[in-house]
Amino acid sequence: MTDKTQNEPDIGSLVTEMNRGFLHILVLALLEKDMYGYAMVKHIDTLGYKVEENTLYPLLRRLEKNGWIASKWDLTEDRPRKFYAITREGRTLRAGLLDVWKNQNRVLDEITKEISHV
Amino acid sequence: MSDKLEAYLEEISHFLSGRAEREEILSEIRSHITEKAAEGPGEFTDAAIEKAIAAFGPARKVAERYLDESRPLIAPAYKRFLVRYTSLLFTLHAALTVLAVFLKEELVLFPLLYIPRLSFIDALIYLPAAFLTDLGAVALVLYFITQSGKDIKLPWPKFGIDLDEVKPPAKSFWLSRVATAVGAVIMLAVTDLALYLFARHQTIFFINLDSDNLRPLFTPGPGRRISLIVIAMFAVSTMALLVKLVTRSRWVDVVSNTISLALIGLILTQPLDNLFAAEIAEKLQKHPPKVASWAKNTILITLLFIALMIAIDLVKNIVAVSRKKLAKGV
Repeated sequence: MTDKTQNEPDIGSLVTEMNRGFLHILVLALLEKDMYGYAMVKHIDTLGYKVEENTLYPLLRRLEKNGWIASKWDLTEDRPRKFYAITREGRTLRAGLLDVWKNQNRVLDEITKEISHV
Repeated sequence: MSDKLEAYLEEISHFLSGRAEREEILSEIRSHITEKAAEGPGEFTDAAIEKAIAAFGPARKVAERYLDESRPLIAPAYKRFLVRYTSLLFTLHAALTVLAVFLKEELVLFPLLYIPRLSFIDALIYLPAAFLTDLGAVALVLYFITQSGKDIKLPWPKFGIDLDEVKPPAKSFWLSRVATAVGAVIMLAVTDLALYLFARHQTIFFINLDSDNLRPLFTPGPGRRISLIVIAMFAVSTMALLVKLVTRSRWVDVVSNTISLALIGLILTQPLDNLFAAEIAEKLQKHPPKVASWAKNTILITLLFIALMIAIDLVKNIVAVSRKKLAKGV
């Protein structure tokens, strides 16, 4: 009973692991245009994907710390908003990450095809 | 501005204390929540703020997402050494403590350890504190190593006991339960017999085995007290075995070991003068006085030896419990 429970796949934590890398690419892709956090959450939502709000902001902070995105506060509207934009280093990183991601997809496609022919 | 939002930000701020960019983080969260609350149907209400806060998540969880990026206190690669080095250091500490109690002297192993002159009871109080000190000292060293960011290969002698490698032989569920049940029945019988003897003779220590004419080993007062303590030790072992039929938790052994050590300590606090019953005392007095003190010392050494065995088992169980907790925490 205990062994069975221990061996059951915890898909939630695996999805979180997978999302971590994907979210990096997603944010770097989105920030080709200047955007603030809440606008990014809404935009991603309209694309049929859900990002946890409390995950996005720490990620933006880490990306900015590494110099891959830059930010500035806009105080001209009623409410202050922090806008983010990708940097040159961020674009290089994004290109590298997209290559890795495409290659992973290609490998998975190949294997899926192989399985379907067995 | 909503009081609820300010209270929420204050709570996050508390968990982020010490972070230089705290104000910046809070401003951004404030901006997000007000933006989201203003967008919902109706006006910018407390209910809307509350809903936006709930969607953002509990304050501690939010703060932890920001703290995730920082270096761990002890790197995962060094966590095993926390248990290994603490086991080694504490084994040395415990052995020296037993020696200090036996020699009735203070011991110094400069600059690592200082063990003051201790009585047995003092040692029982001193050892748990010593364990925590050793654990803290090792943790501190590993913390500094982790924070230095260097790849330091920590030594671990080949002859050292690695608890990960020492695995008890695998017993089947039923075999181990049957063994425990047999042990429990035997201990229950021993406890019952001891209680029966105590009820009839006020002691469980005798110098002969003639059931019609049992002669007590000790004088009535000390004999009664020591008998009661030993019966309590039997009862503790019986209870531990009965509980282990239901759970295999190491905590059962930790509690049983601790109570047994305390009971041995209680025996050692009993005055040992006029311990032996008149018949034995007379025989001892026929010999030089050294023989009488030798008899007392034999009892003391036996008790200390039993205490040492229980203490070693206790350390083993504490280390096993700590290791399990650490492994769960990783």
